[in-house]
Order: sequence, then structure tokens, then C-alpha cells
Amino acid sequence: MGSSIRKAIELILSADPELLNILSTTAKVCLTSSILALVLGVPIGILLGAERFPGRKVLLVLNRTLIGMPPVVCGLLFYMLFSGVGPFRHLHWLFTVKLMILAQVVLITPIIVGVMETFVADTAPALRETARGLGFGRMKEYRLLMNECLYSIFSAYLLSFARAIAEVGAVAMVGGAIAWKTNVMTTAIMMYTNRGSFTLGIALGLILLTLSLLVNIVLSVMQGRLSR
Amino acid sequence: MKKIVSLLLALVMIFALAACGQSAAPAPAATEAPAAVEEPAAESAPVEEAAPAEEPAPEADALVVDTCILMEADDAMINNYSLLAVNPDAPFVDADGNAVADVELNTVGAAALINWLLSEEGQNLAANYGFEEYGEYLFYLKDGRPVSTAEIPEATEETKHIRLSTTTSVNDSGLLGYLLPIFEEKYGYEVEVYSAGTGKSIANAKMGNADLILVHSKKQEEAFIADGFSYVIDGMETERLNWMYNYFVLCGPSADPAGVKDAADVKAAFKAIADGKYAFISRGDGSGTHTKELSLWPEELGITAEAESFKDYTDWYVSANTGMGACLVMAEEMGAYILTDKATFLTFVANDGVMG
Repeated sequence: MGSSIRKAIELILSADPELLNILSTTAKVCLTSSILALVLGVPIGILLGAERFPGRKVLLVLNRTLIGMPPVVCGLLFYMLFSGVGPFRHLHWLFTVKLMILAQVVLITPIIVGVMETFVADTAPALRETARGLGFGRMKEYRLLMNECLYSIFSAYLLSFARAIAEVGAVAMVGGAIAWKTNVMTTAIMMYTNRGSFTLGIALGLILLTLSLLVNIVLSVMQGRLSR
Repeated sequence: MKKIVSLLLALVMIFALAACGQSAAPAPAATEAPAAVEEPAAESAPVEEAAPAEEPAPEADALVVDTCILMEADDAMINNYSLLAVNPDAPFVDADGNAVADVELNTVGAAALINWLLSEEGQNLAANYGFEEYGEYLFYLKDGRPVSTAEIPEATEETKHIRLSTTTSVNDSGLLGYLLPIFEEKYGYEVEVYSAGTGKSIANAKMGNADLILVHSKKQEEAFIADGFSYVIDGMETERLNWMYNYFVLCGPSADPAGVKDAADVKAAFKAIADGKYAFISRGDGSGTHTKELSLWPEELGITAEAESFKDYTDWYVSANTGMGACLVMAEEMGAYILTDKATFLTFVANDGVMG
């Protein structure tokens, strides 16, 4: 274990250009996909939690199933859709960062929807009563809801970022782990492990965890400050 | 705020402690003679082999890699690399089996890369690769190989991106990492290398995701051509451009219980391993190495790529289904025999069996 830690520190201090490229690609993919998923998932989640309409239960069950979608299956699906013989081949998105982001958004949004729905379903009824009591219209009611949800939104984002950065099946399939272009931390770790370079794999894993830790610290601080 | 600072401090302390308190783990000094490779003097190496005969490593050193090359340069273990350009008019089908007409391929770029790799310059670079680092040549040029004298066009916006589908063995040897930047610098192309097991890499090309392939499995290459997926580029005579080769090597524990070193040829060696039920690590993943290994077992055993075929041999035949390096680590741990390409083995030994 010690040699892995030493290797990790060596790698960071040496500012190896390939490692820097991998880190920046990872940041690009994971931050973009988790934020997009947040932007899409929060409104849908809140709506699902707050409103009652026919078919709501069905959508809920569907969403919960999608949360459990294996990333590699998602990757395979997008690979087939965008490959040279697939229906979307003319977009030329295969083996690019764009498609990796898209695949991750599809994987992560259900999680955010699920978390928001759970929280809102719990608190919406009481909130609605308060809002009615205060004479709030629809829009104001939703703004009140959003305010209450802020803490949950941060938690949902932390979950989605964690999922994005740890994910390897989908990004490997649709990105192809092409050096200098679509190689992210997890695919690099996979590649080194397959070659038998276990120490290097763990070293990269430690760097990944540290990155994750830093992001979590920043977001947790923000969560504390903004939602009290 | 205080909580976060103390958390960070705690982390830094843990890292520092772990990094310093390493009295038990000896530092794998790169200067340690990588003399664990035992070249059996009995094997007469062919003329091209610049294989130095090395002293066996001292037993006292705990980090010596025990696995060593026991047999090499047998013709049955020859490993041929071929380039094939993907045919833009191939019968591409989508997932449901419907024909797809307008698959976009960069034929100009593919031809440019093939012509460069087969040019005097490209071939000499490949032939000399590895000598500086390992003191051995890793790739040899075939007699009667195709040589290209074609003019190579500079890259344009449309032809800049070349997609090359290749196998992990080729990629992990470092050859492409060495050759391609030279090509890219000279002509302005950008080569994207997709590397996976042979089967997956060929399937990738069949789905229109590659402009050319570089693989080392004759059977699968011929099937690729027979299915109409390759074509003859201008200036060449065949679809299958086989220009370089090397040998697989049969490695195993230095004690060599199966007596592979003294076997007449590689097939006899494999028979000895099977008869004695000595542990053997198979790639098990449909790769070029795996295909070659399957061809070397005695026919009566009936070992094929299907899991059914070796279910009676699981006490000694280990189907690992992972990359070459990881399989070597396994072989070292288990003291097992293994068929590997020489480049990966040399890297393995150079890093004292831990593959960095």
C-alpha cells in the first residue's frame, strides 16, 4: 500500500502531462454531466413529488428502475446508437467527450429525480397547507418549496457527482478510452489493471478519491452556508 | 470551518505516516539487474535474435521474478501482425441486421497511415523499437513483406482524423505510442487508437467505427476479408498486409516441473504441461494470444474458446479472461506456465514483476 501512496504523490508532484490531461477530461465530463443531470432532474423530481396526476405511480416505478441501470448496458446502448452503422452516426459523437457526458446524464438524472421526489413527497403536503394559509399562488408555492429543498438539492448533487466520477462502464464503451482525448481516471485505472500494473492502478485510485474528497468538502461547506 | 481544517490536517497526517512508515516494503530499485530472465543455452536462437545470455539471478533477492522464458522462437509460436484497411463499400449492417449504405470512413487517412507504416522509414522505426530499452528487438520484418513508396498526402480538415482499431497486445508493447507521434508530427494527422481484445477490436471495425485495423490473428483477418470488410488500397496487392512478426514465448517457473526447456518443440511442451496437469494461465478472452494458445494444445484434449470444453481441466487450466500483464502477475503468483508476447514479458521483468 505504501508504494502506491508514494507513487500517487510522485505522480502529482511530477505534473505528468498525460495525468493532467486525464484529470482535466475527468473534471470536464463529471462536472458537466452531474450539473446537467441536476438541472434536468430537480424540476422533474419536484414535480413528481409535489403533484398528483394519473400515471404518476408508473413514472415513479420507471424512474426507480432506471436508477438501477448497469452503466455498461447504458454505454453499450449509446455505442450502438452512435456507432458507424447506427442511426445517429452522422453526428460523429462516438469516441468523444460529448457522448460520454450524454451517457452519464442519462445514468444520473434518475438518481436526482428519485432523491428529490422522496424529499418533496414528504414535505410537500405540509408546505402546501402553509402556502394556502398564507394565500400564496402556484408560483410562490413552488419558490417556497425550492427554498426548503436547497439542502436536499445539494445532497442530490453530491450523490450525482459521486456516481459520475466513479463510473467506468459507460464512459469506457462510448469514449473508447482514447489517449489524450477520452481517457478519464476510471478508464485509465482499468487499463493499467488489465496490464497488470496494480500499483499504478491503486495510485490513480487514491488520486481520484482525493479529488472526490476535495469536491465534497467544498460542496458540503456551501451546503452548510446556503441552506440555513 | 474548524471541523474542515482539522479533517484536512488529519488526512495529510495519514498520508505522511503511510509514506514514511514503509520499513517493511523494500524499494524496488530499477538499477537492480533485471537478470531474472534465464535464456536457456540449449535453445538455438535464430540469426535475427540478439538475445543476450544472462546469469540467473541470486536466490537471496526476494524480488526476483521467478517466471522465465522456457521456450521461444518455435515456428508454431510465430505471431504475425497485419494491417487491413476497412472497405468503405463493405456490407455494413446495423444492430438489427439491416444494411447501412452511407457509412463514413476516412479512406485517405487510412491509406496514408498504412503507406507510412509500410514505407522504408516506418518499417525501420518499428524494427528498431525496443532495442534501447530492453536490449532486444521486439518486432522483426518479414521476408517478402509489402513495401510502400507511395507519396503520403498532408492532412486536410476532412482527412485529419484517422481511427485505428487495434489489440491490447500491440498497444501495450508501446510500439504505437512510439511510432504514431512521428507520423502525426510529419503529416498533420490525428490518429485515435481504439485498443481492445482482437475480437472486440474487429467487431468495432465492422460497426464502421474504424478506418483501419492492426491485428495479429490470421484466421480472424481472413474472415474479415472474406466478409468483404477490407479492400486493396492503391499501390498494394492484397488486403492483408502482413509486414512484421515476433514470437510468443512460453514462460513458466524457473524450476520447470514439466520439463518444457527440454521439450522437442512447443507442441511437445504443451503436451507435457497437460499430461502433468501443471498450472497454466490462459488469456481466455478471444485475443490473438488466446487463439494461438488454443492451437497448441494436443487435439485430444479438445480445449477451445468455449468454457464447456475445459470444464474437466479446471484444476490446472486457468482461464483468466484478462489482459496480458495481469495474467503474467497471476502466473508469477501461482508459479504457473503461460504463453505471452515477448514485449509484455520484458516489461514485466524490467519492473520486477509488479508491472509498475
